[in-house]
Amino acid sequence: MEITVLVQTTDRAFEILEKARDEARELLYSSAKLTSETKSLVEKREARAIFSDARQKRLAIRNFIITTFVLFAFWILLSGRFDAFHLILGIICTLLVSYLSHDLLFANIRVGDIRIRARRFFAAGPWFLGQIFSANLHVAYLALSPKMPIDPQIIRFKTKLESDISWVALANSITLTPGTITIDIREGEFFVHALDRKVAYDLSTGEMEDKIAHVFMEADHIYIQDVLDVSRIFGALK
Amino acid sequence: MISITDDIIIRAVARILIPFIQVYALYVIMHGHHSPGGGFQGGVILGASFILYLITHGLEEAKEKMSELKAGLLSTFGILLYSGIGLLCLIMGRNYLDYGGLSTILKVVPAQARSLGILGIEIGVGITVMAIMFSVFFDISTGGILPEDEEDLGVNR
Repeated sequence: MEITVLVQTTDRAFEILEKARDEARELLYSSAKLTSETKSLVEKREARAIFSDARQKRLAIRNFIITTFVLFAFWILLSGRFDAFHLILGIICTLLVSYLSHDLLFANIRVGDIRIRARRFFAAGPWFLGQIFSANLHVAYLALSPKMPIDPQIIRFKTKLESDISWVALANSITLTPGTITIDIREGEFFVHALDRKVAYDLSTGEMEDKIAHVFMEADHIYIQDVLDVSRIFGALK
Repeated sequence: MISITDDIIIRAVARILIPFIQVYALYVIMHGHHSPGGGFQGGVILGASFILYLITHGLEEAKEKMSELKAGLLSTFGILLYSGIGLLCLIMGRNYLDYGGLSTILKVVPAQARSLGILGIEIGVGITVMAIMFSVFFDISTGGILPEDEEDLGVNR
């Protein structure tokens, strides 16, 4: 009787021991797995940090160079003297200014699209001039007609543009067009004062916004317009 | 304390204009002996560009570009440049600020030495005026109390 009890207790003791061993092994495995996971995660993060750091540095250098060239062109425009002394002074001054404020002029520009933007900007110029001309005629008509059929109103719309510079470009082109004035931009929402219903309607069609989005390569216009551009080049090649 | 403005148009336009304002200021300083302008006028424009940055981007960011310490050092450096050129003329046996004496050091004819000497003087004046303009505005905008001072003194405003 006593022997059977003894055997039973030893059996149970062995069982408990085995269970404990299994648990310990599992714990060990999971901890090893966890450390390897965190290690890989940390490595990945470090690699990403290094990558983005290098990218930032490259961007800063590129911005510095472009700013220097733009400012040097401005200096030549101001100075108008082409002797070596003044040109060297200009180079020193533009380098100094670009060192001071290279992060200002081209702050929010993505990689590799400055040339496309500049081309599109100049291509969009005539359309804006035409718009301003026709709006001028309309406002002149409003001012000169005896009844003066104005209907002042403030319109509010949410823009689909993303960067600050395109917001400012849109706001300034709205203000530049006679009859409409941008009052404020609050979190992507434009408050525009319009002189009458026609002007307000012209604005709310969003054609100007589309043009700005095209110039600054934003929103979904990029894809459609890029396809159109490419198709034209493809046709020329053919 | 001036914080960053929430008007996005002002901020973006200031961001683009500031480098051009600075180049224009340096142009006014450097061409002072050919055209209207000079050290004081150019220095004021240069100081105004930094003040514009302070107004639009707030005190915290402006301190990275131009701190009070830097402004103080630059203002003394400008005076040092001015008086240094003057004393150099004195050492060369001429009157104070008589740039003709610099012709032996610079190895040019006296007329050109005068031109270069006045350019150096104007650079010195421009640096000092810029630093002083900025530091006056800085002191007014903070009321003489910097944020780190507030923590030290326990001043709540």
